[in-house]
This record gives sequence, structure tokens and C-alpha cells, in this order.
Amino acid sequence: MPALYNLAVSRSLPGGFAVVGVARREKSNDQFRAEMKEGVSSFSRRKPIDPALWQDFARGVSYVAGTFENPKTYSDLRAHLDQLDAERGTSKNRLYYLAVPPAEFGVIMKNLKEAGLVAPPSPPGSGAPWTRVIIEKPFGEDLASAKVLNETVAQTFDESQVFRIDHYLGKETVQNLLVFRFANSLFEPLWNREHVDHVQITVAEEIGVEGRGKFYEQTGVTKDIVENHLMQLLCLTAMEPPISLAADAVRDEKVKVLRSLRPMERSMVQENVVRGQYARGYVKGEEVPAYREEPDVAKDSRTDTYVAMRIHIDNWRWGGVPFYVRAGKRLARRVTEIAIQFKKVPHGLFRAPDGGISPNVLTMRIQPDEGIALRFTTKEPGQATILRDVAMDFRYGAAFGSNTPEAYERLLLDAMRGEATLFTRRDEVEEQWAYIDNIFDAWRAEANAPPPLYPAGTWGPEQADDLLARDGRRWRRP
Amino acid sequence: MTGPAAGTGKTRSLIERLEKELRELWTQPEDPAAIPKSRVCTMNLEVVASSHELLERYTPVVDEVTATMPSRVILASIEPDAATDEITGSATAVCSIEGGRNICSERITLKATGNAAARSASAIEAFLVPEIPTALVWLGRVHVDDPVFQDLANDAHRIILDSMYTSLGSLLNVASWARTQVNAPEISDMAWTRLASWQEMTARFFDRPEARRFATKITKITLRQASEPGAHLGPEPALLLGWIATRLEWKTSRLGGKTRFKRPDGGTVIIELGAVPLPKGVAPQTLAGIAVEAEDDDGTKMTGSIERELGSGLASGQEDATADADVMVWKHATAGAPPLEQRVRLGANKAAKWLERTLHRPKHDPAFNESVSFAEQIVHDGLTV
Repeated sequence: MPALYNLAVSRSLPGGFAVVGVARREKSNDQFRAEMKEGVSSFSRRKPIDPALWQDFARGVSYVAGTFENPKTYSDLRAHLDQLDAERGTSKNRLYYLAVPPAEFGVIMKNLKEAGLVAPPSPPGSGAPWTRVIIEKPFGEDLASAKVLNETVAQTFDESQVFRIDHYLGKETVQNLLVFRFANSLFEPLWNREHVDHVQITVAEEIGVEGRGKFYEQTGVTKDIVENHLMQLLCLTAMEPPISLAADAVRDEKVKVLRSLRPMERSMVQENVVRGQYARGYVKGEEVPAYREEPDVAKDSRTDTYVAMRIHIDNWRWGGVPFYVRAGKRLARRVTEIAIQFKKVPHGLFRAPDGGISPNVLTMRIQPDEGIALRFTTKEPGQATILRDVAMDFRYGAAFGSNTPEAYERLLLDAMRGEATLFTRRDEVEEQWAYIDNIFDAWRAEANAPPPLYPAGTWGPEQADDLLARDGRRWRRP
Repeated sequence: MTGPAAGTGKTRSLIERLEKELRELWTQPEDPAAIPKSRVCTMNLEVVASSHELLERYTPVVDEVTATMPSRVILASIEPDAATDEITGSATAVCSIEGGRNICSERITLKATGNAAARSASAIEAFLVPEIPTALVWLGRVHVDDPVFQDLANDAHRIILDSMYTSLGSLLNVASWARTQVNAPEISDMAWTRLASWQEMTARFFDRPEARRFATKITKITLRQASEPGAHLGPEPALLLGWIATRLEWKTSRLGGKTRFKRPDGGTVIIELGAVPLPKGVAPQTLAGIAVEAEDDDGTKMTGSIERELGSGLASGQEDATADADVMVWKHATAGAPPLEQRVRLGANKAAKWLERTLHRPKHDPAFNESVSFAEQIVHDGLTV
């Protein structure tokens, strides 16, 4: 709702627009509006809330009570939507946002269809009423369940009507990856095995499970972050130039990357994947409990709160270039970044530590302080030739102001426009799971081996350092 | 959050407040005529002291350094014995006008007291700017098993000590610890930086073509330091001796409980250590002099000496002179050649100068590392003056 309100502030919403909440609990439209206002007041980047604007926006906010299993809920909803079509000019265009557990998708979609609330797909720009659905991750919990889920969705919606939302893809810097790579002639010629030594992708959080112990016990960081966000970042970094920015052109290229990943056979997991779980420690000067001390977490939990992987992409561009990825909770700092480390210079002209010069690193920071930095070596002023690493640092906030749109604003607007480039396609989801499934198979086979512990506030278990040390490399300290 | 380890959130709030203050430092001034501040940052400079008072004394030193080496400075005092358990702090910009531009460094000051001292490293690390080198300046004695030191050292590219004001033992312990670490930070010592003029003048004994052969024929080194007789060998004499010995590839050996210094040709070098009175304003164990004697195979002798006129600094009349901006008297004599004598005045002994020079030096210095290893051997023998 804060994202929708922000879109209203920026006058990005269509003229005929309304939001209808549907849930079990009985409440009036006014109660629902009051709850939404509170949420917007707390989380909108446009603070304080503009009373006149909110009043206008709230007129389009309403509520229908009912259980998801009951067909009456849907007949009530249909009547309500028909009324809104007449009153607010919404033209029978419907965008359903299912913020519910995947187990509920089937019954909701079946009832929507049976209530006549799903229009057949229509070509963009045809003027015919459209129906689309946004679903949130997790898109399944393994390949088999993802396929079942996709099949369930496909019984009601054509793939062109399905928008699987991954909020990472709505972030400015992620979108900028494509611009950076394909709108600048400088970088793309270097973006390959000839010049790149390796790539590191980090999704690090300072926070723990924050009261979501029950959820986390069922998922862990590999399912929560790696299978979706991190794989998407890897695809955008490694993909070939698409023939256009059309949704399927971009998504085709991402799928090609996923199909090029060297399969992680069970026997390879121990050598290429390190998992961990946070123990007590200090984060930003605060003592924090161990994962096993969090509410709703088993005292002998084996859930992964950290994972690091070495991934190989077996294609012409990336053959022999490892992609090291890591994600974790309670790490030293919150940072999401993609770092391209270039090869060392072929001959050491200058006297420098370890006989070499620090390699150039290009870093795309997704969060916080979204931006791009290039590290290079320079000479310190003075009589002697002393080398020093420096960074050219571009920050979005400094260049364009800090009030950049939230990821959800862009994604919701794209869904309303029918623009699917930043949403995940069915085959992407299934390819991602196909890759990750092998890792879980291997972990299940070693069920008695608990994940190594790492103190909260550090950069993960020592075994993760060893993973890179074996290749003569080291993790960045972003 | 449950369990005994739950934090109060105060430090997190402090960090968030300071981060906000730092961001606000860089907003454009409302007055269009005002010179906007330019944030410049070439490195992270962490300075850790064992008391807030010591940190306050050192703050102007850091400000002077950042005027020429703009940095993100994080000053932290750690006082685990204090009564209160808290981390407090402030943030400010330290600016200097250069060519019409207001060049600024960010300075964050943290004070960790009581039990909060244990979590100070994670608070300090929260302020590090990514992508740039990090130097850790540790004021006071270092214990390598101190978890705060370990956490900060592991994330630093370079650790800077001043063994004259901590101890030679601290330097040797840190160097020994670093050798056991994978991807260890480089160690630097401001006392080593101060030795540069001694090294240069010592090397000059062998500069002239007719004197070069004597470098491999040294028979005796006499070192003097300003201290009570019987005091342990200080960092400056120990490192200078280590430097000479490693440059000339001497080895140590023991016989009858005594340390022996052997040249590569098997000749023995006698080391004589002595004490001179310590004038006011001069640090204890300051290197006061060195004398070198050498004898060629044909019996030709060479002598060289450097004597520091301790406490003569204030007589220079120079602005900013310190008591130990001393005159050095360099003498050289070779049989058959006229004796040479030269007087040189050391620059003012200012902490900012040594920190800045140390930061400007290559962080990897094989001569320093080898000298420290050598010093480690002779210190274990408990050499006294």
C-alpha cells in the first residue's frame, strides 16, 4: 500500500484506479482504510502523509470480507468490482495480488475463474479488459513443488498474465545493470573470461530472523535468498545482450544462463558449497543471540542462515571464471553487491606487495548507498613510486537525490502496464530450482552434520574463507 | 529477541544517528555564497586508545594528518574498567580550505566503557567505508588475544603502532601474530619511520668507494640509548641493530649464555650497549648514538659514529621546534683519508609527522619485517644497556 500511495503522489496511477482488500476478518471499509493509512504513514518514503491526497486516494480503497474457500466471497467480490467499474472507471481491468501462502493459490485461482473474474489473455494495446495476477515468492520449495504450483497457476492464467514478483528486480541498481552493461561501450568488451578473473555476489544482512523463526526453520537462506534474488543477480550479470528489452527477449537470455550453470552434482556439493548458522555475537555494537536462541527455532536446528557457493557457467563467455556467491543473516553489515574482479596485469613493472598490483574491481552496490565503484591503482604524490588503491565512486543518492522509487512502485506499475521484463518467468523459476535441488539432496544425505557456526557480526564461517583460499582468492569485505 | 544475549538497541540507535549526521554534513549550504563542503576520503583511519583522555590528546594529531590525507576517521577509546556499560559517540567534519574548495574528512568519535567495550569493534566496523584501504592505529599496549584488536586487525590492511610509546614487546607480539594469520595485515611502526635518518647516515659510512669494502668487515657496533643503566634495549636501538644485521646478513648464535653476531665470512661482531642520561622532554629509550668499527683483511680500520645531542632541539630557535629536534653529529674516519664530520638537525619530533610519513610509506616493507624478526631473536636474550 505505501508503494501504491507513492505512485499516487507521483501521479503515476491510472485515472480509473481502486484497491480492494480481501481477507477473512470482518471489517468495514473505514477500518480497512485506517489500517492502510497507518501502514502508509509508517513505511511510505513520502512522509508526512498528505491529508488531501490521502483523502482522494482512500476513496478508492475498500474491503471485501470472506474466506478463500467460499464461492460467496468471489460473488461478493465480483459485485463489488462491477460497482467500482461503474463508479471509478476501472474498465474491468483486474490485477490480483496474492499475498498469501502458496498453498492457498489453487483454491483462490479456481474460485476467481469460476466466478468469471478472469478475462482471457489479450494482446497489449488491444483495449480489451485485462486480468493479471502477481504472486510472491516462495515459488515452491523445490523443483517438484514449483512445477505443481506453476501447473496450478496455469490452469487459471496464461503465462502472459502471471507476474512472479521478486522485489530485487525492481531496485534501481539492478535495473541499471542492463543500462550499465549495454548502454556503455566501455565495459561490455571486458565482460568475459579474457578479462574477468572472478565475480563475487554478496547478499548480506545484519538482521537475524526478526521474529520469523517459524518461517525460517522451513526455508533457510538458500531457499529464501539464493534460489531467487541471488540467482537473478547472477543471471543479469552473466547474460548475453538481449535482442531487445522486450520481456521475453530479456528472460530468454536469463534462462540461457541458468541452463549453462554447471550442474551441482551431489558429489560436488561439499567442495563447492559452504553453509553456516549464526551463533551469538555483536552486530553494530549490540550483543545478539544465536539463531538457536531465537523464538520458534529448534534448539538443535540445522537450518542454514549462511551459504557460500562456487558456481561455474559453462559457456563461451564465462568458461573458467568462477562466480562466488554468498548470502547470510547476522553478517558484519547489510550490503548487496556484485563485484567483478578483473585479472591482474600480466607483468609487474612496479614494486608492490606480494609481487603484484591489486586487481581492478568494479562493484555494483544494490543496497545500501546504491551506486557503482571502480577500484584502481594509482601513484601516491611524492618522490617515490608508491602505489595506492583508490576508488571512483558513483552514488545514486548523490547524483540524483535520495528519493528514488521503491522497488515495489516500479514493479506494481509495470504489472499494471503489462510490462513483464522485471518479473520471473515459469521456466526461470524451474531452472533455478533444478540447480538448487541438488544441493538440498546432498545436505539431506548428510543430515547428521550440523552447519558450521559463525559468530554474529562476522562474515560467515571459516570454511567459506577456505572455499576461496583453495583457489588463491579471498572474499571482499564490502 | 530472547535469551541473555539480547542487546538494548542503544548502540544501534547511536550508529544510525551518527550515520544520519554524517549524511547531513554533505547537504548543500543554504547560503549560496557559502563554500560547499567536499567530502574526500582516501582511506579509513581507525585510531584506538585505552583511555578517552589519550584519545583526546591524539585527536589534533589525526586532524593534522587528515588535512593532507583526507580519510574517514574513526577514533575510539575502550575503557573496560569504567563503571558504566555504554557506547557513546559523535560525528563531525574536519575541513581545510584548499584552492577555494572546502576539503573535508569525516571524523567519528566513539567511547566504549564497561562491558560495552567488548562490542566496540562491531560499532567501529559499522563506519568503515568500503573499497578503500583501512589503517588501524593502536595507541597503547597491544594484546594479540584481545578480541577487539583481533576483530579490527583482521579487517584492516595495515596496523600502525609506535613501539616507543607502547613497547617493543607489543610490536614483536603483533608481528608474531601476523605471521600466523592468513591474509594478515601489514605491520608498521612509527619508531621505524623515525629511524630513517639514522639508517641513511649509517649507510653513508660506506658510501665512498674506498669505504664500501668495510661494510662486510664490521667488527664492533656500539649503541647508546637514553635510559637508566641496566634498562632493556629499547625499540629504536633494537630495530636499528636488526636493520644493520639483516642488511649485512649477520646471524646470531649463542655460546655460554651469550649472544654472538656472525658475519657471512665467519667473522665475529661485538655488540656493546650503553646508557646515557635522559634529558627532560626526551622519551625514555631514545636512541642516542651509534659507533661502527670495521677492519679490513690487511688491518686497515674504519670508524664511524653518530651522536645525538639529546635535548638540543629547543636551541634551534626554529618555529615548532621540540626538545628532541636534536642535532646529530656524524663522524667518519678511514686510515689514510681525512676525517669527516657533519652536523645535521633532526626535524621537530611531532606525532602527526610520523603518522603521516608512516601512512605514506609502502605498507609492505621487507626490511622492516626482517629487522623485527631479528629484534625478536635478540630481545629473547634479554639484552640490557
